[in-house]
Amino acid sequence: MIQINNLSKIFRTDLIETHALRQINLQVNEGEFAALTGPSGSGKSTLLNVLGTLESFDQGDYLLDGRSVKGLSDRELSALRNEKIGFIFQGFNLIKDFSLYDNIELPLRYRGFSSAERKRRVEQSLETVGLAARRDYHPSQLSGGQQQRVAIARAIAGEPRILLADEPTGNLDSLMARQVMELLEKINQQGCTILMVTHDPDQARRANRHIQIVDGQLNDSSMYEPLAAGA
Amino acid sequence: MEALVHNLKLSWHSIKRAPLPYALTLLILSLGLGTFFSNATLYYWMNRDPIPEKSQTLFMVRMNSVPGDCTDCFEPPRVMSYMDMQKMSGSGITSAEAAMYSSNAYAKTVENQQATPSQVELRVTQRDFFKLFNVPFLHGETWPDNNARMEVVISKNTATKFFSRTDVVGQDMLIDDQLYKVIGVLDEWSMLPRLYDVNGSRSAEPTEDIYLPLETAYDLAIQSNTQNSFFDVDWDGDMATYPQMARTNFVNQLQFWVQLDSPEKVQQYQQYLKNLVQDEKAAGRHTRPEGNKLDNILNVQKALRATNDQLDAFALVASLFLLVCVVNASHLSLNRYMANQYEFSLRRALGASRWQLQSQIMADVLLSSVLAFVAALVFAQLGLWTINSLLPGTRALASWDWQMLSVMALFVVLISYLVTLYPALKTSFSPLNQQLKQ
Ligand SMILES: Nc1ncnc2c1ncn2[C@@H]1O[C@H](COP(=O)(O)OP(=O)(O)OP(=O)(O)O)[C@@H](O)[C@H]1O
Ligand SMILES: [Mg+2]
Repeated sequence: MIQINNLSKIFRTDLIETHALRQINLQVNEGEFAALTGPSGSGKSTLLNVLGTLESFDQGDYLLDGRSVKGLSDRELSALRNEKIGFIFQGFNLIKDFSLYDNIELPLRYRGFSSAERKRRVEQSLETVGLAARRDYHPSQLSGGQQQRVAIARAIAGEPRILLADEPTGNLDSLMARQVMELLEKINQQGCTILMVTHDPDQARRANRHIQIVDGQLNDSSMYEPLAAGA
Repeated sequence: MEALVHNLKLSWHSIKRAPLPYALTLLILSLGLGTFFSNATLYYWMNRDPIPEKSQTLFMVRMNSVPGDCTDCFEPPRVMSYMDMQKMSGSGITSAEAAMYSSNAYAKTVENQQATPSQVELRVTQRDFFKLFNVPFLHGETWPDNNARMEVVISKNTATKFFSRTDVVGQDMLIDDQLYKVIGVLDEWSMLPRLYDVNGSRSAEPTEDIYLPLETAYDLAIQSNTQNSFFDVDWDGDMATYPQMARTNFVNQLQFWVQLDSPEKVQQYQQYLKNLVQDEKAAGRHTRPEGNKLDNILNVQKALRATNDQLDAFALVASLFLLVCVVNASHLSLNRYMANQYEFSLRRALGASRWQLQSQIMADVLLSSVLAFVAALVFAQLGLWTINSLLPGTRALASWDWQMLSVMALFVVLISYLVTLYPALKTSFSPLNQQLKQ
């Protein structure tokens, strides 16, 4: 499903170059629930952004569904983001003056769905995250966990092939974090591939694959290992 | 359509988030546009063809035949004498012709003799005037010939003002204490610009109140209030001798207009004028070189150097002001977009293409345009009002027809787009991830 070869990413500012990703090789298979861990600044978010095509890369190649994303036009990239990838951010990134319904509907609009189809999908994903009753609420009227569930609903409404989650529970207390994890597991069981950045060893353990990144390099020992104890 | 409504809703949301900067942007933009529009309005009225159905056939005549020793005076005077006019009339080449000048007087009705008379603008002219410029009659008709007669044609407004009704043919009026009979009432008529009276930059003024026979005006010593040039005239100033003196000397105050229906007629008439002036020269009445002018109505402003320089200066200032406003508004608009950058990046992350963002931005432009247009019209009205109090001669020009309105609306959309273009491009092309990290 995801295949990256020798991928490098360098951030250049006037003064310094940061090698955020160094020669990374990674394959994520259909249906996997992979956890990505590593120290702060190791390049987790950068990797996720590159996978989500929110960020370009300098070297190597990235194949999504066997197709290289290099050289895709803005249109094709947007369509890719819109149809194949669901992104969940640490900070929820909901639009504050939109209702839950409108927030979830937004990416579906870019897809050009009819309003009936949009309605069906929004309602279904609200159902999935257990917030159907609050479709007209605004994000500020919800708890953090609920907001993150809305963000998840938004990410899955387009029925993406892969869900990229950057510390989805980073801002939540443990109870809410658990709810969100359970939700992600449920979504994974329905067939959606998930790659999740986390700091929480427990969460990493619950995933069926654990990838570690240190200083922009993947820890070889984690490659294709089902799940290492202790992380 | 549904997408447009949605996009408009989004724009409205983003305005509500920061209403003050938005209002400021709009204010600056519509101030610049309003100023620009008020000038453009005057400019438009001043430079349009007031009588497109026959402007090709209307000409003003100037004869280069005044006395005095001047062998290199190629430019004829702006006005001509009664004698010139007499010689020129009845050429048989024109399909209408009339001499004219403007004056003013005090008028009242016979019934209301005690009332203080009101000042009226006079057009002293001849029978064909109304035919020349397609002036519509509501009641009555023009004089049967060019002879002196105590009969006037009055405008609709004048009729309403003095008699409180329009059908006043046969009524009497006192104009400068002389008794006249009303023989015609004009329908609503304005000629903008009033190109038959450009001498002294008077073409932006409203049409006159009362039309008076030329011969009568000479008899009663009613003189031009625009230009009255005496060449080699020896007159003691005794008004009793004025009618005779003015008809037999170079007392130049007349403008002469003709209608020539084809290029051949124009040529014929030019030859006719040339012969006339040459005969005069041969008879030793002047020494001037050939220099008659037959100017088409659309060229008279330039020919008489009566273009309104003040208006041109205003136009320049207004354009510069608009430029400054646009630059400022762009700057404010950039700030607004930068504040919303996060949302744009989020949309992109959720799969909006740059093109889809563009349509959002277009909705934004549309909304701003509508608001800016309304505000600009208000400011333009204020601007016109100000200019008109500074230049009273432009009063008649302060209105819009639907064509102007649509051109102005288009202009507002264009400017709004211009103001939004750079911010929009900047937000659409900025890197995505930074904004979404929190
Ligand atoms: N836009 C950027 N410009 C310059 N350097 C950047 C940029 N984004 C990230 N970096 C650098 O790249 C490296 C990897 O950053 P990244 O955000 O991927 O780390 P991370 O593993 O997600 O850390 P955290 O756990 O704190 O979120 C860091 O050294 C960071 O300073
Ligand atoms: Mg991170």
